[in-house]
Amino acid sequence: MPVLEGRELRIIGFLCNWCSYGGADTAGVARFDQPTDLRIIRVPCSGRIDPLFVAKAFMNGADGVLVSGCHPRDCHYAEGNFYARRRLEVFKNFISVLGIEPERFEYTWVSASEGQRWQEVVTKFTNQVHTLGPLAPVPEISLDRLAATETAQP
Amino acid sequence: MLEQLKDTIKKALPELDFVIGWGMGFDALHATPLFMYEPEDVDKLVWGPLNVHNLATYLPALKGRKVGIVVKGCDSRSVAELLQENLINREDVVIFGAPCRGTVSLTKIRKVIGNTGLIEDVNYADGTLTVKAEGASHEMALKDIRADKCGYCRFPNAVLSDHFVGEKRAPQVEEDTFEDLAEFESQPFEERRDFWMKEMDRCIRCYACRNACPLCVCRDHCVAQSRDPHWLSQQDGVRDKFMFQIIHATHLAGRCTTCGECERACPVDIPVLLFKRKFTKAIKDTFDYDAGLDPEATPPLLAFKANEDNIKEKEW
Amino acid sequence: MAKYLKKDDLGSWLKELGETYKVIAPVEEGDAVVFRRLTDERTLRIDRQATQGPKGVLFPACEELVSFKYVKDPENPEKTKVEVKETVEAEPTLIFGARPCDARGFDVFDGAFTKCAVKDNYYMARREQAIVVSLACTKTETTCFCNWVGGSPDGTGGSDVLLTPVTGGYLVEAVTDKGEALMGGKLLSDADDARQAEAKKLLQEAKDSLREAPDFDCMPEQLYALFDNMDFWEKQSAKCISCGACTYLCPTCHCFNITDEQQGKEGSRIRSWDNCMSHMFTNEASGHNPRPTKAYRLKNRVGHKFCYFPDMHDGHIACVGCGRCIKSCPVALDIREVVTAAKECRLPEEETSDD
Repeated sequence: MPVLEGRELRIIGFLCNWCSYGGADTAGVARFDQPTDLRIIRVPCSGRIDPLFVAKAFMNGADGVLVSGCHPRDCHYAEGNFYARRRLEVFKNFISVLGIEPERFEYTWVSASEGQRWQEVVTKFTNQVHTLGPLAPVPEISLDRLAATETAQP
Repeated sequence: MLEQLKDTIKKALPELDFVIGWGMGFDALHATPLFMYEPEDVDKLVWGPLNVHNLATYLPALKGRKVGIVVKGCDSRSVAELLQENLINREDVVIFGAPCRGTVSLTKIRKVIGNTGLIEDVNYADGTLTVKAEGASHEMALKDIRADKCGYCRFPNAVLSDHFVGEKRAPQVEEDTFEDLAEFESQPFEERRDFWMKEMDRCIRCYACRNACPLCVCRDHCVAQSRDPHWLSQQDGVRDKFMFQIIHATHLAGRCTTCGECERACPVDIPVLLFKRKFTKAIKDTFDYDAGLDPEATPPLLAFKANEDNIKEKEW
Repeated sequence: MAKYLKKDDLGSWLKELGETYKVIAPVEEGDAVVFRRLTDERTLRIDRQATQGPKGVLFPACEELVSFKYVKDPENPEKTKVEVKETVEAEPTLIFGARPCDARGFDVFDGAFTKCAVKDNYYMARREQAIVVSLACTKTETTCFCNWVGGSPDGTGGSDVLLTPVTGGYLVEAVTDKGEALMGGKLLSDADDARQAEAKKLLQEAKDSLREAPDFDCMPEQLYALFDNMDFWEKQSAKCISCGACTYLCPTCHCFNITDEQQGKEGSRIRSWDNCMSHMFTNEASGHNPRPTKAYRLKNRVGHKFCYFPDMHDGHIACVGCGRCIKSCPVALDIREVVTAAKECRLPEEETSDD
């Protein structure tokens, strides 16, 4: 069992290979203090991020999801993050109808040199998710079956 | 007007493989899509508030054949969207439009009369639907039993057509204010989640919502049934069902015309249109764009601006 | 001997039975009526046909067949073993409020799962522990056609107990020995002749309200003859949108799929409902699909119900006429029309003269 069980939440970070992943690395090399809730998944570009990755993360138990890419106009592939911005903005709007607080999902831009900024983003986002607390899990089984297993193991 | 529509179709029929419209189904309340191959089939055509289906759903599979289609205003937007996405050829489709006063919600009728399985007769005149069932007669104003989408309809006349029959009607509203959404979202987040958990639990994974959707064009290649990538399992739990609705809505972002077929088709009455309404509002607010109005337009999610007008990014 | 149960006592009776059985009954959920475990918070709805029948109680939409786990052999870390555990789950269950058509669906399941060379342990375990208390129909809907396929508003096939609504309550009759066990309840009194006569009259009226049944004896032959007439099937299936509403709501559809769902080193092999309207149905690993279009698939659906299944099971039609596939079909495709058209379809001379 992890040491921080109960104190740590599950936050997934999708980071683009060229900027934000580098930025996180810079923060690490510089030994900036950061909360440890974030689990990073590296993707080629923020434009690679299907909003459904975010949805799937929430369905599978994430309490927060952070997407980070290159600053607008700095995309390694010229315009990947421009497309991403539109999709992610609309998706952020969408999740409130599902009953997921939009604050559980943020997208942001951090370049490879911005270690300090990365520290700030992770800290602020983690705090933001902690304010909301854990997200109630979406049952993998039907509700009747869930009720049956819950009465079986009080 | 119906006679005029029939004549127009009959005139065009010799040039076409068939024309898709509506006929009466198994009882006087249920219409059913009608494929008109011969002039005598055209005589079975009906027009009115029972024409609930969006027939544009059939068009992509018929690409390459010359067919005609009868459309309500909302259906015509699906046709426009299919044209925009190059899923049908304009020259292969002949569109017959007519003004629409709104269509019924069979779920709402069931709430009024109790059981829609005991229908004896149905009559519609001047905004009033009279349903005879179990010896009793129920008069209902169309306004009270029409589909929710008709309440905020801005396009009662076909947005594009080759033949338009009848007099154009004024829209129900000038602007869609998304009151239904606001009402739902007045609940706390937790209650919204609980609502969906209960509703999705009932889903039978029949995918009627997807198959009735005119813009779910992957058809036999839907990710819902793909084993690799494995987006969804075969479990019947809430998670996979809910995830599918998110997939459906997300894939329709910026494309959905909120024709409401998903919700209408659902055999267990899950209000799945709400998901799409939310995306539609987000698209409208952010990009001031309505899907299915202009076949030449570029949809907002396939474009960008270096400086977006309505996107405020996080400061940090 | 028929018994009588007062309407006001129905709830108490079910509660009493709930002590012995898991009681599953049609309850209101959202705008639909579905079979769920009856609890105090749920509202029983037996005034109309349930949106979905009780088939899932005995043949769940999804069930785990085995669970498996990959474990490293501690003696030899290079080796991985698979631990497999069979999961047959069954408990005493009472299905209340099935309609005679729904209950007859279990007859079809019995034919497919318990009477063939290979027995289905999972189904049999549940079936043995289940008791079906059906509710006869005194009203019929426009989509009802049980009389076409050998059923009736008071049919007893698949049921253990049959209830008939009469003034002020229900006439309760045991159909099987299993059902006889329920007849001792304190809330049941002996039914007098007047009540029995009333039930008989109501049921006769219900029977008379159904449309006249066509003769389906010729159906298997006719459907075999139409097998290659794709023009016929294409026209019949033109409006089908290939969803699974008809099959999943059907009390007799029992095709299933088996898949492994794994997360990390653990997983389960599950059986879930399949759907012959889907492109994936019988799609082969090579990519070849013997039923490539909806026309082939509708042919299979109708053929299986009215021709292939009866051929294998003493003429028992695999349709109970509940009408759900008609009323819940998003495009109101009417299986009665398809079957009638097939019956009336005149076959080309050279095809009929063969045999």
